[in-house]
Amino acid sequence: MPFPILRTPFVVLSEIISILEPNETVTASFCSKNFKCLLKNHFRQKVHLTWEAYMVDVENVGKVTMAEPGIEERVAVLLAVHVSKLNETTHKIVEIYGYKTSFSSGHLILYFEDQVSGSKWIVNYVTDLFNIAVRGLAIGRSSTWAVDWINERQEKPLCRFGLLTPTNNDSKADESVDNVLKNVRASDYIAIDEYVSDNYRFNGKLGPVKILILWRNGHWVTCDNLMNFDAMDIHIGDSRLTISDLNPFLRHWRAGGSPRLHYLEVCSENGRVFEEIFDDDLEIVRTNEEGRYRISCVKTMVIRNCYRIRRMDGIGALVKCYRQRFYMIVQHEKASN
Amino acid sequence: MSSTEQGTSSAAPAEPTTAPESAAAPEVPESFYYVHGKDKVVHKVSAGALQHSALIHGMISNLGYTEEQAKANPFPFENIDGDILQMVVDWCNQHKGKPTPPEDTNLPKQKEKLFDLVLAVNYLEIKELLTYCCKQVAMMVKGKSPEEIREIWMIPTDAEDEAAEKEAKKRAGKEAAGETAAAAGDAK
Repeated sequence: MPFPILRTPFVVLSEIISILEPNETVTASFCSKNFKCLLKNHFRQKVHLTWEAYMVDVENVGKVTMAEPGIEERVAVLLAVHVSKLNETTHKIVEIYGYKTSFSSGHLILYFEDQVSGSKWIVNYVTDLFNIAVRGLAIGRSSTWAVDWINERQEKPLCRFGLLTPTNNDSKADESVDNVLKNVRASDYIAIDEYVSDNYRFNGKLGPVKILILWRNGHWVTCDNLMNFDAMDIHIGDSRLTISDLNPFLRHWRAGGSPRLHYLEVCSENGRVFEEIFDDDLEIVRTNEEGRYRISCVKTMVIRNCYRIRRMDGIGALVKCYRQRFYMIVQHEKASN
Repeated sequence: MSSTEQGTSSAAPAEPTTAPESAAAPEVPESFYYVHGKDKVVHKVSAGALQHSALIHGMISNLGYTEEQAKANPFPFENIDGDILQMVVDWCNQHKGKPTPPEDTNLPKQKEKLFDLVLAVNYLEIKELLTYCCKQVAMMVKGKSPEEIREIWMIPTDAEDEAAEKEAKKRAGKEAAGETAAAAGDAK
């Protein structure tokens, strides 16, 4: 039984629109230009919209996903796919705004001749509809153009960024990681999971960001890099740093370097074990204290039987080498108590 | 040794509390009011049930009717169909004095009545019921394509909108011409 939504009073219409999930809103916006306009006006009047938009561009599929802040599970609202992937026998094709579209899994898929234009088109469409900026960006190796594009299109920096889904080790990987490290701006989270060659080096600065994660292939990170990372929470996987490299870092930290650091975790490459050999001048002492750091909503890192190191200004940190891992938990709160 | 652990927080057990024994309040007889819709069928509704409607609640709180006066002066809602008003009254009775749950299974199920129900509920300012109705309207398009949504919500296509706009312009033009002609006639 149809429901003539456009004949309902404004208050009712606003209430219905507020209840819609973001993918439903986006799909409904394709009903007509007038209806899109109505939805746009609704979101322009809304002082605070809780939904955040994320751009995902991996393996020739562009996607806009949305979620409430703090919610990991995001719902896809619009997809841009290369027209070569269109299968007219399995999908019902409808032309909208001159583009072929199909509908599947609760969202529209638009088919474009040019993948990059398509990805840009869907991001512009969704952000314009909800009157919001892109908050998160997750890309594959061939989509690093999106970093510069986002930087140019909006003043508000990204909140989260991920360079993801490495498939093989080719020469483009170094280039993509380099482009990302040099240009990405994200306030909360930068995660990189990509192959880079043995010769790859990075000489710039990275951050400020709250969390920096190099899931794998962090072999390129030197002590200098570590000193230049402006992050509160740093995780480095597959690292070639040794305890001899980390001693200068601890010295730099004692002298007031990396002042925002709360947590550092370095995981060595090829199962190499970190030995607890600290330079005397660091004045590191054994302690029975327990170090705790909340690394996610559901996970807290706890280190015991560790070492204490103190900065010149009195702030302390606990460090621990445990098999292939080096941990450092800075106790900012203890200094302020 | 290092380890990770699931973040847990243990709240202190709540202190058992005892409510003060209140002196048994004298029972106040419940007052009733009367409403009717387009069909003139009068429904007797308690003031408690009517509290859901901000409109009626505002009206009765200023009246101070006696039972007899209330009976003699039912609130007329000529813009609401009788069966719709019956649904609203039933819902108000079912939810009298109860906190409204987040999902309501007592919603009227007849989809064909939903539009009229929404208009009535909006007019009577029954916020919770309006929210439930709006949820039901929103649910109608879950998992639907733009063409399906257009059909379900009766949204005109761009071509239909353009045609309607042209028609409206034409009509406005004709009306304006008619008015000009009438004004010219008056002047003569």
